This record gives sequence, C-alpha cells and structure tokens, in this order.
Amino acid sequence: MEDIGFTVWFTGLSGSGKTTIAEKLQQILIKRGLKVELLDGDVVRQNLSKGLGFSKEDRDINIRRIGFVCNLLTRNWVVAIASAISPYKAIRNENRALIGNFVEVFVKCPLEVLAERDVKGLYKKAMAGELANFTGVSDPYEEPENPEVICETDKETPEESLHKILTKLEEMGYISAKRSDYSPEEEKKIEERLKALGYL
Amino acid sequence: MKQIERVFVLGLDCMTPQLVFERWIDDLPNFKRLMTEGVWGKMQSVTPAITVPAWMCMMTSKDPGRLGVYGFRNRKNYTYDEMMYANALVFKEPTVWDYLSRANKRSIVVGVPGTYPTKPINGELISCFMTPDTSVDFTYPKTLKQELIDHGINYILDTDEFRTNDKDRLLKELYQMTEERMKTVHYLLDTREWDFFMVVEMGPDRVHHGFWSYMEPDHPKYVKGNPYEHVIFDYYKTIDREMGKILARLDDRTLFMVVSDHGAKTMDGGICLNDWLIKEGYLTLKDTLKSPTNFKTGMVDWSKTKAWGSGGYYGRLFLNVKGREPEGVIPVQDYEKVRTELIQRIEEIPNHQGKPIGTKVFRPEDIYPVVNGIAPDLLIYFGDLDWRSVGTVGNPAIWTFENDTGPDDANHAQYGIFGALGPGVPKGRQLTDIHIMDVAPTILKALGRPIPGDMQGKQLRITN
Repeated sequence: MEDIGFTVWFTGLSGSGKTTIAEKLQQILIKRGLKVELLDGDVVRQNLSKGLGFSKEDRDINIRRIGFVCNLLTRNWVVAIASAISPYKAIRNENRALIGNFVEVFVKCPLEVLAERDVKGLYKKAMAGELANFTGVSDPYEEPENPEVICETDKETPEESLHKILTKLEEMGYISAKRSDYSPEEEKKIEERLKALGYL
Repeated sequence: MKQIERVFVLGLDCMTPQLVFERWIDDLPNFKRLMTEGVWGKMQSVTPAITVPAWMCMMTSKDPGRLGVYGFRNRKNYTYDEMMYANALVFKEPTVWDYLSRANKRSIVVGVPGTYPTKPINGELISCFMTPDTSVDFTYPKTLKQELIDHGINYILDTDEFRTNDKDRLLKELYQMTEERMKTVHYLLDTREWDFFMVVEMGPDRVHHGFWSYMEPDHPKYVKGNPYEHVIFDYYKTIDREMGKILARLDDRTLFMVVSDHGAKTMDGGICLNDWLIKEGYLTLKDTLKSPTNFKTGMVDWSKTKAWGSGGYYGRLFLNVKGREPEGVIPVQDYEKVRTELIQRIEEIPNHQGKPIGTKVFRPEDIYPVVNGIAPDLLIYFGDLDWRSVGTVGNPAIWTFENDTGPDDANHAQYGIFGALGPGVPKGRQLTDIHIMDVAPTILKALGRPIPGDMQGKQLRITN
C-alpha cells in the first residue's frame, strides 16, 4: 500500500516504558525515511497543555488536544507518535475514531513493578498521599480492550517491544517490509514454469 | 437473521461455468446447493482473462490498466528485451487482506496468484505457484513453512513438468497437489482464528489444459472411449467433495463464496502471430528460418520491422515506434494508422479452412480507463480465445495444431464462476452482471468495512 500517515498511540501507567519505546520507534521510522513527530505527555504538558491539571476534565482536554494534533499530522502523511498515560477508554476511542489510521500500543506493567522501579520518584509520593490524582494509585486507569499491540515491559526488553510494534505496522501495511525480487536463477525457473504452463 | 462475522472464499482457477452449472450439475451436489440455497452465476473476468493479473484484479477490484499488469510478463521499459515478472512486488494496489489487516482483522491467504514474495499480513499467508520452489520462504510468518512440515503436510506449489505426454504422472501429481492444499486448509481451520480465509486451488486449470481433448467431443483431437475421458469429470467431483468438507466446517455466521478467475474452452489451435507478421511484411528477421524456433528479439532486423508479438493464451502485439523503441521505424504521426490497419488485418485472419474465426483485437485505452505501466500496443483474442497465440517463428504455416511449448488442449474463456451461501444470502437466485472486480467490495462490505472509493467493482447485493 502507498505511504500514508498514521498515529501510534502509546498508553499505559507512568513509568511503564512508553517514552522509552516511543523514542526508539521514532528513530527507526525516521531511518526508514518517514516523517515522524513524537508528542510525549510530559513534554506536551509543558507547552500545548501548560496549565492543565490532572482532574478528569483536564486529562480529557489534554488527550483530545494531543489527538487533534495527531490527526493533523496523520492526514498530512506524517507519522504521529503519541505517548501519554491517556487513562480513559472513551477519549482514546474518540481519538481512534477521529484519526482512523490509529495503532494503539498498550504498554503494560504491573503496579507493584512500577512502584518498585519508581523511575521518577512519583509512586512513593503518591502512595504516601503526597500526590493526588495519580493514575493507578488514586486515579483510575482503564485498560484498552483491543489494542493493536501489547508490550509487557516487565517481561520483555524495549527492543522486543519495538520489534512487536514494527511487525504489527508491517502487517497492517503502514510501513513496508523488505522483500527481495527473484534472483537470476529463480527468474529462469519461473520462466521455464510459465512456458511449460503455456502462459508465455 | 445472523450477522456475517467471517468470509471464506474458495478460489478454483479456471473452473468453468458450462461444466459446473450445466453439464455436470446433477453430479456435483455441493455446487448444486448454491443453486438451491444460495446465489450463483457466470462471472466476467478481466481482459486479458489470464490468471495473472485476474486474481489480483479480483482481490484489489482494479483492472489490468490500473494495476499496470497485462500478463505474467510485462515490459519494464521500451527496450526490446527488458521484461519483468508480475510477482507480488509489482502489485501496488491494496488487496482485501491489506484493508482487513489495517482494520485489525485476521486473514488467512493460501495460494492466491500474485503473492510471492510474501509480505507481512495480520494473519497467515502461503504464496502461489510463482514461487521458485519450496526451499525459499514462501509463508508468512516464516515459521509456518516448518509448522506445516511438522504436521505432516507436504505443501505443493504446482504440478511439475506440466508439458508431458505422461498423463498418468500428471494426474497423480495433480491429485497430490490438491490433497496437500486441502490438508493445509483444514489444518489452518483447526488451528487459527480468522475473519477472512481465501484459498486458490490451481488444479482445475491444470486438468483442463492437460486433458480437455480427452473429454470434449468437439475437440479436434477427441477420441471416443479414450482412457482419460472422465478425468476432468472425476476431478470436478473431487473438488465438489472438498467444497462440501469445507462447507461442513463453517458456522452459520460465515459467508461462503466460490469463485474462479476465468473459464475454459476448447482450443482449436494456434495462430503463429510472428510468422503472420513476417508474411505480411510487418516483421523481418535477419535470417530465414527453416523450422520452428523460439522467437528472440536478437533475431530481428529492427530497421525493417514495424511490429512483433508474443505467444500465450492471448496475443500481444508491440509496435516499433520511432523515438520510443531504440530502433523504432514507425513515425509517431503514423502510429494510429498502423495500429488501425493491423487491427483490421488481424481480425480478418481466417482459420486453416479459410473461414472467419471472430478474432477480437483491443486497444488498451479502449478497455481501461487508465493505462499504467507499459501495455501492449494491441491485445488479441484469436478466435475470441478459440485459438491461442504462438510466438515461435519458422513454422510451415500460420496455423498450428501442436502447441509450441507442448501438449495443451484448452484455452481460457472470458467467464468463470461465482457462487455464495450464508447468512442473508437469497436462496436459489441466479445472478447476472457479475464482474470479477465485484468480489472485493462484496467481501469488505460483508465484514463491515467501507468500500474504498477507487475500487472499480460494485458490491453484489447478496447480503443484507
């Protein structure tokens, strides 16, 4: 299929590995000659969604804004990679319906593993009651029901997760897989077979 | 009424309507079910009615002009020699399974012509007979190849040495090929989830080309009571039984379709196109040939040549145009005049008894809204496909009754078959006006997917 834009939407709890995998994906796709933009939740909250909090209403506005930008990019043949907790199914599905060429990647990791990793020191604060509205602790996370890819980051390396995503993108025809044409010997075989079958 | 959740397509290359729906219908109980419990009819193929690109035209709903593919081998450029084989790398338009993969629906695709080299799909894919041999990776995922072997399946891509007079061997190979392919289908039905399943069995095409003259009384070589008289009938019954086994495995939420890419008919003989062009002064060889020889462009005196042709089930003619071909002689302003003259003269070629044969000659731009790639300058159905085109030169006459590549008794016919059974399908309705490009939109709609605006076929009204 021809090159088209699409959005890869990473969702999952804080510290699950969304940004790590998303950045690797961005690099690989750029190397393959695609135009790619990454909208990372932490970065977006410093500019596009500066001033928004973590109430449900504010989270919904944040995710809708990211979805809006992803849609603009997608329809202009750019690959948009969104990496945000995006905890509410309904809003993720809204974005899916809006964008169309939408690949949802659920970056899954058990809460106890995340609390132990605590890469940003936030789980300790949240569990101590020092951070309100923290997804997974004091705020809900609604798991995707039918994501295109599930990356279980307590069981696989980022490279394995990346491979899963790239395979899915190839299977869905969003990116091309490398394929070889006939070698001269193979071509000769095909020619003889087609002649024998009367086609040539 | 149950909603359709899955679609199964049984593709039978060259399965022909006059045998299925007329002559043998009372001996084919599962095909007969289509006529009483489902819909059925003749389905028009594309021009040219050839396996490649017909199956891809069916699966993309795009005609050969859009695909830029006019046969198994196509000109890469306007040089005399550079040709490219129409394998999967050449087909750029999305297929049914590409659309379904994008919608995260699983497809299993087995043996559809035009699928080698394989590419990733959401599901499983086994490539077609244009695969060099089974030593290469002919499945997606790659691991499926070994998995089949581990489960006792010896997948056979095609019959070997088709052009043989050893008919018993050919027959044995044909049945083995079909058996292994059906074993593969049932194995995948046992072990895989799917939304769309399609298999193409090449056996009907091979059995027609190999045995038509033994079956068909109107064939010039037919001998009553010959030992192979019932071969094609028996094979059709085998296919009918296999279709029954597949139907028995499908639930009441599955739409079943059976299709062919074109039909078959008696081949009266071959018209030696290049010899005719030589005789009529359009083609000049450097040397005179005294016996039938494979045509090679190196034989040609291009300075005295206006046209050359190629052989196959249909004929292709190419013009040697100044400024286009390396040693072109036809001035651009005379291109249409020469083409028109050739059309007239080719259509007038009689048979060996001087009788008209009803040859049809097509300009590509007259039959395709868009002409991509490099189409032949003319496409020729000798005798409306009653005769094949023979590319060899040095034949004693322009008619031949021995194929230049070995025994072959049947040519293709413009109409194949279509049938469907399943939820919401009307019962006992014969459909008319079915085109091969209607299949893909019908499948997508049945699975709740939108029909892309650039598909050239229409949705068949066979489901609610």
